[in-house]
Amino acid sequence: MAETFLDSTELVLNMGPQHPSTHGVLRVIVKLDGEKVLGTECVIGYLHRGVEKIAENRTYTMFAPYVDRIDYIAAVSNGLGYCLAVEKLLNVEAPARAQAIRVILTELNRIGSHLLWLGTHALDIGAITPLFYCMREREYTLDIFEKYCGARLTTHAFRIGGLQYETYEGFEKECLAFCDLFLPKVDEYEELLTGNRIWRKRLIDVGILNEADCKAFGVTGPMLRAAGCKWDIRKALPYCGYEKYDFEIPTRENGDTYDRYMVRMQEMRQSARIIRQAVEGLPAGPITAKVPKVIKPPVGEAYVSIEAPKGELGYYIVSDGTTQPYRCRVRPPSFVNLQALDKMARGSLVADLVAIIGTIDIVLGEVDR
Amino acid sequence: MRTILRKVFLVDLLQGMWVTFRTQHPKNIVTEQYPFERPKIAERYRGAPRLNVNPENGQTLCISCDLCALACPEALIVVGWERNPETKRKDLITFTFDTSRCMFCGLCEDACPVDALELTQDFELASYSREGAIFDRQILEEGIQPKKYVF
Amino acid sequence: MPDDPKPEGTPSPESAPSPEAAQAPVTPPVAAPVAAAKPPAAAAAKPPAPAAPKAPAVMASTAWESDLAEALSAEFGGDAPECLTYLGQPFLVAKPESIVPLIQHLQDAHDFDYLVDITAVHWPERAEPFDVIYVLYSFSRNERIRIKIRIAEGFKPLTATMVHPSADWLEREVYDMFGIEFDEHPNMRRILLPDEWETFPLRKENSILKMDQRWVQENLGIESGQ
Ligand code: SF4
Ligand code: SF4
Repeated sequence: MAETFLDSTELVLNMGPQHPSTHGVLRVIVKLDGEKVLGTECVIGYLHRGVEKIAENRTYTMFAPYVDRIDYIAAVSNGLGYCLAVEKLLNVEAPARAQAIRVILTELNRIGSHLLWLGTHALDIGAITPLFYCMREREYTLDIFEKYCGARLTTHAFRIGGLQYETYEGFEKECLAFCDLFLPKVDEYEELLTGNRIWRKRLIDVGILNEADCKAFGVTGPMLRAAGCKWDIRKALPYCGYEKYDFEIPTRENGDTYDRYMVRMQEMRQSARIIRQAVEGLPAGPITAKVPKVIKPPVGEAYVSIEAPKGELGYYIVSDGTTQPYRCRVRPPSFVNLQALDKMARGSLVADLVAIIGTIDIVLGEVDR
Repeated sequence: MRTILRKVFLVDLLQGMWVTFRTQHPKNIVTEQYPFERPKIAERYRGAPRLNVNPENGQTLCISCDLCALACPEALIVVGWERNPETKRKDLITFTFDTSRCMFCGLCEDACPVDALELTQDFELASYSREGAIFDRQILEEGIQPKKYVF
Repeated sequence: MPDDPKPEGTPSPESAPSPEAAQAPVTPPVAAPVAAAKPPAAAAAKPPAPAAPKAPAVMASTAWESDLAEALSAEFGGDAPECLTYLGQPFLVAKPESIVPLIQHLQDAHDFDYLVDITAVHWPERAEPFDVIYVLYSFSRNERIRIKIRIAEGFKPLTATMVHPSADWLEREVYDMFGIEFDEHPNMRRILLPDEWETFPLRKENSILKMDQRWVQENLGIESGQ
């Protein structure tokens, strides 16, 4: 730091756990030199609920509702990851119709999750209006969830081996109507933000994380794609029949906060595209595979991961042949991505720190489990 | 040159403001005025529990099989029953459902073989005390009666 | 944080989460046939941490035949990890001392450049009670493998942070939950639980209701978190 005539000492500042822009109960200890961040340390665990321990004490079926509460913004994705992992252990596959409905719902959920991210991120930066609009559109996805499975956030939509509920009347029509309605709205958000000079000034070249760093820190999801790595589990290791759908993986080069914003905006458009294809090609047929009433996978273990809105969400389940998982490990994207905060924030300003925390898209329920 | 003009005339800001402005038209208002306006609840909504009774004779449909209690991950349902010496069937005596711990996952509802237990569209579950959140058989059969306030 | 999902005890008979207690009320005999009729439920009613049935039944894994397995056996000779596969997912069983060189080698020679996850499993009956599992992925090969090491109580595996910085928090979490310390880790502290917490919750001997009574009393000023 350049010398100044003022006496300057380092300041250790505590941000959170109840800071509105830490998106929950994240506590960041920041070391500052004036406005400049010299280093950060995250203190997490305020929301630790011992999900992995609960898993060891519940049967496979009973644990399914708990995974919704890991990342409550993207509960459907969590449920999908868990069901896929148990199905892998049982060596069954959900029927085609169930897979298509799963794809529709998870993509809707991805849109909902990104919308909530966009709204709150914009609010952190200082733009209030997008929050209201994002909430308005997210409401439509929640309505579809409510009509489909009876709950809006913690949906418990999928069951091991398929689905519990058939689609309701008008499901297809509503999904298509949502896609039609939603795409112009994305343009509207972009109109509000993309070209806005304040938005650009606050985001461009803030919190850069290049591709090599992303890989070193295990950062996945939109953050990795914003750094230029064209990697998405939906394409790389397809599950649920994602190989059938035609969509692109949006990428950018710089890996700064603005690029992550652009990647997520593009991703929402791609999700709408997938939903449209899935609804139009929705096959008829059964919605559950043949799974025994009592789920008792053979002794073994499996690691299955999916592309959740925030990155790679993995489930590593060890079965000892009983009805309860012997060990259920959740590989949370937010937890791993949050680790890169220090790398991104070093050398930036305090105000940028807020933007950087926002851009990681963390959910503390998932960080702490 | 064009970018400078755009900058000088605040085009980017005005564009955003126009978006905000046109959304203010009354027909674009989507906010629900909750206590005055009841939200439409989906048919499958998983809300307050109800123990169904036979509409003809008011007898409970529950056969005290205990399946719901065993299906519940939180183990919050307690079914109390007694063997009736005459009919050799189980008579339901008590039924408690602790909504304060319920996560409305619907597993109990799915487990019930006679559709006696059902999660309904009622969603106003607030109560003044923890004890108030524990529903006994009477509340479960009659449904919750939230106090109606007149504004 | 309590190990138990419920915030506070409700003053009712069902506040005890064990289903045995939940059946207590007016239930006269006859419970036996009922329970027998419903296997899922009966299983659910088991007390926490079920002992593995008999001697630990083994996983039906088979040897993994692939270029990578061959390359590894050529490169490491007698020290080569065992290459197995189960359900189409390959995993290596390595020696605890050689784990970091192996990860380093996989990164340098075989492009496994992304450390997905580190976790552990506790098998209390075994002589070496912990499995530490590393999940690796290679972007260029589009392949995922798991590496497993079996370690004894008190053994300190070397940290992987110098190869993959992402191992930092993941190893701290393993320490937090299982008490496995990683040697030379820059910051071997608890991460999710408070620093003064005493038990390691994911060890099998700690039941779901177990918590650090002393910590709760000192810091929260309540008798018990349950
Ligand atoms: S909804 Fe779920 S948590 Fe609630 S009583 Fe039923 S099974 Fe238990
Ligand atoms: S499952 Fe249905 S019938 Fe059986 S005890 Fe519960 S409510 Fe009664």
